[in-house]
Amino acid sequence: MSMSRRNFIKRAAYSGLAATAVLSRVDKAAASLNSTEEYASIIDLSKCDGCSNLDTPLCVASCRTKNQANYPQPEQPIGDYWPQTKHEDWSDKQGLVNRLTPYNWTYVQHLEVEHEGRLVKVSVPRRCLHCDNPPCSSLCPFGVNEKMPEGPVVINPNGCFGGAKCRDVCPWNIPQRQAGVGLYKEVAPKYAGGGVMYKCDMCYDLIQKGKEPACVSACPNGALSFGPKKDMQTYARNWAQENDGYLYGDAENGGTSTFYLSVIPFEAIHQAILEQEVDGKPGKPGMPVGAVNVLDEPAGIAEGFVIAPVAGLLAAGLSVYRTMKGAEINEDPEA
Amino acid sequence: MKILRHKLEIRFVHWVTALSILVLFFTGFGQMPVYKRYFVDQIPGLEWSSNYLITLNLHYYAAMILMFISFFYMLYIFLTKETAILPKKGDFKETLIIFASLLGLAKEPDNDKYLAEQRLAFAVTALSIAALIITGVIKVLKNLPATNIPLSLSFWATQVHNFFTVILLFSILAHLLAFLIKDNRPLLPSMFTGHISLDYARRRHSLWFNRIEKQYGASALTDDNKKGSAA
Repeated sequence: MSMSRRNFIKRAAYSGLAATAVLSRVDKAAASLNSTEEYASIIDLSKCDGCSNLDTPLCVASCRTKNQANYPQPEQPIGDYWPQTKHEDWSDKQGLVNRLTPYNWTYVQHLEVEHEGRLVKVSVPRRCLHCDNPPCSSLCPFGVNEKMPEGPVVINPNGCFGGAKCRDVCPWNIPQRQAGVGLYKEVAPKYAGGGVMYKCDMCYDLIQKGKEPACVSACPNGALSFGPKKDMQTYARNWAQENDGYLYGDAENGGTSTFYLSVIPFEAIHQAILEQEVDGKPGKPGMPVGAVNVLDEPAGIAEGFVIAPVAGLLAAGLSVYRTMKGAEINEDPEA
Repeated sequence: MKILRHKLEIRFVHWVTALSILVLFFTGFGQMPVYKRYFVDQIPGLEWSSNYLITLNLHYYAAMILMFISFFYMLYIFLTKETAILPKKGDFKETLIIFASLLGLAKEPDNDKYLAEQRLAFAVTALSIAALIITGVIKVLKNLPATNIPLSLSFWATQVHNFFTVILLFSILAHLLAFLIKDNRPLLPSMFTGHISLDYARRRHSLWFNRIEKQYGASALTDDNKKGSAA
């Protein structure tokens, strides 16, 4: 593993100027890397031009090429989710590159954002942020969505039933559903389940080989960089401080493995997404600042699980003590 | 004339358990994406049912109440030695005889305070609840931020939780279906008032009846005015 890690660092170091700057720091830490090192990425919006000269941004194109074999291949015709009269089928829109779909796990939002009195063009690469405490994983009813020690949140397509709960509990509604594939077809396809959920897996197979995700390697501007999480986090926080800039993904949803850097406030970017991007269908996420993890509230009451049994024991002791004290001789001892 | 069958504590345990399990079933099924799909959230008053956060919080609160009452009951039985509901040796065989008697194939055996079949049903229900509490606590730990429950453990906790949900559902259905049998119905009021008819106890729960009569004398069973008496 240490050998491939060195290769990875070497490769990553060549992947762009910004990455080099970051990873020179990483190199020093390389000696302490181990197999369960947690990784993260930085998306520097000040360096992303959305590949405006190309039809498909290179990060998106590389993701599509790399994941081609992982895309769903549903059998037609696909039935509705009874008793609903709809189902989610993106198989005839596989070419879409301007939103998240089961066939497109990252895309670039092209926005015009008002900043300091003028309109600024902003390009925002979007995909799963790989949360520290992902509710999509914790709340998966089938336990087939796993937060890996290296950082990625990975859906197992063989166990996924396609209920889309992960999408509902994600602050960005990232995972996208394709009907007509997966385990539900073997059980009761008309009445339960809806397909398989798909999203970015941080190129987990590449990470395990000591390589970086395809999108990071493909970026021509060094807007994407990848490395050990603590180094990425330190760099991102310092950058925001030194550049009077903004950081997104460090606090959102309780912390993630993706750090967006921007000189334009994310409140303005979020507002622009809502006005210019969102069309009421899934796969065009906003960027709500300070997004709250849905599991925070249940966690806040969880101490009740310690209090409840103790209270039960105390109440029983008290109740029996009182009965025994005032016990009447003719009471049925078994009643 | 009536005889006290269920003390206030037992009725309290029964109904708190029943209500918390009812809420747990509804909110637990709500952790799967079914209420929106099947339009349950279109029913007036149930609009919240497809909101995972609301149903999860309710599931937590109801689970705390179930844990409270389960621990209450465990210690209560231990301290009072009121063990009539716990299974005894030979209960399985006796249950088969009771079922045969329902079909007219055998004579119903003399019963204690509870039928052998009731004692077995209690064991199945109690074990299911215990398994659900243990696996439920693992699932709560898994949902806490910054806990590292291995996926294999939370996966199996989920499977066992789901399995015993089904077992508990069937045991409660059987519990309710028992009232289809006419001879069981006189027991129904006792879970509200605590009392059943003395004649019924004498006929159907003769072992219990005779023991109380022997212990406290016939007067304890016939004097209806004695405060707090068995009669």
